[in-house]
Amino acid sequence: MKALKTLIDECRSGATDYQELVDRVPYARFLGIQVVAQGDELTFVLPKNDNVIGNPTLPALHGGAVAGFMEQAAIIFILLQMGEPRVPKTIDFTIDYLRAGHFRDTYAECRITRQGRRIANVHISAWQKNRQEPITIARAHFLLSEDA
Amino acid sequence: MTDSSPPFTRLDVCNRFLESVRHSVVLGMEVVSAEETAVRTRLPWREDLVGNPETGVMHGGAIFAMMDHAGGMSITCRTFPVFEITPTIDFRVDHLRGPAKGAAVVCEASCYRLTPHVAFVRITSWEEGNEDAPIATGLATYTRLKIDKAGQVVGQ
Repeated sequence: MKALKTLIDECRSGATDYQELVDRVPYARFLGIQVVAQGDELTFVLPKNDNVIGNPTLPALHGGAVAGFMEQAAIIFILLQMGEPRVPKTIDFTIDYLRAGHFRDTYAECRITRQGRRIANVHISAWQKNRQEPITIARAHFLLSEDA
Repeated sequence: MTDSSPPFTRLDVCNRFLESVRHSVVLGMEVVSAEETAVRTRLPWREDLVGNPETGVMHGGAIFAMMDHAGGMSITCRTFPVFEITPTIDFRVDHLRGPAKGAAVVCEASCYRLTPHVAFVRITSWEEGNEDAPIATGLATYTRLKIDKAGQVVGQ
């Protein structure tokens, strides 16, 4: 397996597709997470698939699958900002469910509110129809390094 | 003498609830016990749930998904034998430590306050066999949807 730093440098330079970075994590492959890059802007995609269904009668997405998707989106997003990339550890993750997640593709974008040497605060927003109507918003803290 | 108790238990209802939620089934979640005051579930470690390929630690998202569903089940146990649909309003999880590679994660959820519209739930997770050292704690609220025949979703 390629060193994480090498892979990230290649993603940044355009030599490698971001998807290779996403697919490095087994759980990301389990959910089927994809990433769309437009320049430096990244949109994460949770394609609709049977495995992420929660309520079968509606049908609606499982809130836990959406949360896991958003957490992993934030982890990838932070990795790409780090000079010496190490997989960040989630300290806490807080999510508000604003609308039902229907059985369709879900998108997420991340914004780093504050990144210190040791801790990053990230805001994540997920939507289906348009980004002005998020289905969930989340914020999370990540530990970047234990020796910083 | 008539017996008014329903012909199914809280554990039965929680198991049906689990079976009806595809994502939880695919994760490999299991119901361990279901009492009026608390529900216990477990999630065996699996290669495809790993979040960090270097350490083999299970992804926080998989643990979150189990805790979220266990929280819903804890409400089911309070409203038993009536089954209600209870979408999550908000959920906060603190990851206290990473579970060891290969270890199943067990969680206990408890609905400690039930109002006509909102349920307040606490959830704690630990590595199986290591209950004294929680790996994650959660605090969540759920809303109670009044839907006729909701029980048939999981009951029949």
